[in-house]
Amino acid sequence: MGDVVMDRTGQIAVEAAVREELVRANRELGGVAPTIAHRLQSSGQSLVSDAIVARLRGMLEHLAAQLLHLARDRSRPQRPDRESIDVLAGILAQDSAVLSHLYATAMESQLSERLEKRAALDPVLSPLLQELIGSDRRLTGELAGETLAAQSRFVQGQRRMQLAISELPAELFAGLLDEFSEASSAHEREGLARSIDALRESYDEATTRLGLLSRLLASIHEDVAATLELEDAGLALFASAIAAATQQPRDLIVLACHERQTVRLALGLRAAGQGDAAIDRQVSLLDPSDAVPAGIGAISPDRAASLLDAAYSPQRTDR
Amino acid sequence: MSSEQPLLTSRGITDAHDRLTKADELLAELQRQAGGTVPGTLAVPELLELVRHARQMDLKIARDFSAFDGYDIIRGFARIRPLQGSEGGGCELLLENWQRMEDTRSGSHDIAALLDAADRAAAEANGRLDARQHVQYLAADAPDTKALRDAIAAEPGGIWTRYVVVKDAPLQDPTHWRLVDSSRCTIPGSHRDWRVRLIPIGQSGDTPRAFEFLLIPDQPIADARAYDADGNDHSRLMGSSLAPALRAPITRIIENADTIRARLSGPLRDEYSEYAGHIVSAGAHLSGMLDDVQDLAVVEAPDFETAREPVDLHDAARRAADMLGVRARERGISLRLPDIEQPMVAVGEVRRVLQILINLLGNAIAHSPDGSTVTVEIEVERDGLLALFVRDEGNGIDPQYAERVFDKFTRLGQSDQSLGAGGSGLGLYISRHLAQAMGGTLVCVAAESGDWEGRGATFRLSLPKG
Repeated sequence: MGDVVMDRTGQIAVEAAVREELVRANRELGGVAPTIAHRLQSSGQSLVSDAIVARLRGMLEHLAAQLLHLARDRSRPQRPDRESIDVLAGILAQDSAVLSHLYATAMESQLSERLEKRAALDPVLSPLLQELIGSDRRLTGELAGETLAAQSRFVQGQRRMQLAISELPAELFAGLLDEFSEASSAHEREGLARSIDALRESYDEATTRLGLLSRLLASIHEDVAATLELEDAGLALFASAIAAATQQPRDLIVLACHERQTVRLALGLRAAGQGDAAIDRQVSLLDPSDAVPAGIGAISPDRAASLLDAAYSPQRTDR
Repeated sequence: MSSEQPLLTSRGITDAHDRLTKADELLAELQRQAGGTVPGTLAVPELLELVRHARQMDLKIARDFSAFDGYDIIRGFARIRPLQGSEGGGCELLLENWQRMEDTRSGSHDIAALLDAADRAAAEANGRLDARQHVQYLAADAPDTKALRDAIAAEPGGIWTRYVVVKDAPLQDPTHWRLVDSSRCTIPGSHRDWRVRLIPIGQSGDTPRAFEFLLIPDQPIADARAYDADGNDHSRLMGSSLAPALRAPITRIIENADTIRARLSGPLRDEYSEYAGHIVSAGAHLSGMLDDVQDLAVVEAPDFETAREPVDLHDAARRAADMLGVRARERGISLRLPDIEQPMVAVGEVRRVLQILINLLGNAIAHSPDGSTVTVEIEVERDGLLALFVRDEGNGIDPQYAERVFDKFTRLGQSDQSLGAGGSGLGLYISRHLAQAMGGTLVCVAAESGDWEGRGATFRLSLPKG
């Protein structure tokens, strides 16, 4: 009897600590978007590192350039000028959904680079992906091959701080085109409509890198354990796998891999059924200095999932 | 990576109204299991949402999807391509990596089982349907189900929808059971709202062998006796129908407010926690009043009777004092019980005597100054009665009000807000009714002279000696 009471109390204490940690983690994440908006317009002290801001700026400008390219006058082919790009990039930066996604993308790239240095983990071809390419199942092998190509394009693009507009998730892609359309003059819009239609027509979320990662995961569903080992799966598959297993947004999972956000990652892994040892392995690979809150393994996977859910929703309404 | 489970792909086409117009075998089967038809509106909610989304954005999207077909979880990857108006304006669906896995979502089966159990317990009509949903038998004893029973007896063996009217009924009979399970319905001859449950029995694949058939009312039946000839005795209606119906929501208000107060769902500013505390105490007060109103309905019923059993008044007083001990100690009030050994046995119903004593002692404590004494005495009276006195050291009761305190909705010490904030004004009224039903009396012993103020109040409960 006494033991049961102790266990229950211990569990409540662990949960309370974890909940507090999530609130803190949320607060930090919630501060990110305003900070980035601020950093992009001014210089000064910031929570966001210069490297991340530079990546964001690069991606925003690249997106703007791609959009302006659509509107170019076909009779006088020329590169969009610097000034228009800056103006449009500024407008796009106002879209906090896009900005959040780009932020997560920048973080993913930065983390993969760090993992490459620290753990010799290839950002493009992870051991698991290599294995999947050789899969005797045709569809899995094909998807793995396409994923490799997409991942390699992504990594190369990120080295140039670029992101192809057709790589965005569908909602962001649609939103960006609408914003661009609105920002154009009526005169420009006429010529633009056809280019935009063509771009929309060629868009297919299933062939984006993120789409391919999800499809590849869906095709190896019974081997989910391997995808939850960061060192085997590589960051890209690893993040998608936790997102799929916990039904949390992938962007949030990527940010959870960041320093001081690891309690979310730990809970996510727990929700996906991983034990203390496996959780420790992933966290220490990402951030050797960070300690996982003790006793995560004592929280049941269901409970972990509901803690994550509870922590996810307030973040959106908090401010 | 050498799993042999084949990966399946499935295709379908929807139209501009999200009706599935074409589907290959896998998708058509899922559609049917979800209660839909081909052609017919996409019946898998997860897919319907994705198709709508893609159609609205007019973009090709690709998402994980998982759906529960009632037996297993279907997981896969949905690729959805919106079609031009010339192609029908709907979407092409491509479901990749179609996989069926056992439902391992922990708890979902348990929860379903709990819900089923709750419905079984609450059902006021239960029976069985065969595989074609024809009624095999139905058992019900609520008075307002008589017309239903008669209808089934007159024409037995029909499909259940012949006897029960389903609200927003789907078009054809028999409808897939999943579509009607938990529907709202009405029963001929009943004014209540009902819910129907079809719980499959012995399912083999898609077709259950039979169904457990439950009809669950949303409200308890109004006590037939609560209506007079014209059907409008509202006070009784309140006690017998409304009070039980109010019980659940009030309990939930108290529980939720208490959860907020204790900050169980997360940190909260102190004021809010305090407000929640006020809600809890107001709710508890309301809940206490409901008890009284319900008791009122019981004691006022013409056929109200109490049991005749031996009741040791000494023991009853001690138990009542135990229950109120905390409240008394908080105010530094001591409860003095008779200093006697032998039992003082009266005839009555133990539970009811206890209820009266709790009411009397509770009143005495509420109207006593801090640090005073409440005394209980028991005496044998001459004419075969036992008398129990409860005396306090409060302000006392004006003799001209000695009878009025037993009226309905009279509250003692009404002028004094701090004390009067308590009861419903029904306690003494109910106690006197209870005493009378047991062949006894309950009176307020009037002070002898006009000098009543500050002399305390005394109540005397007399019961026949055992």
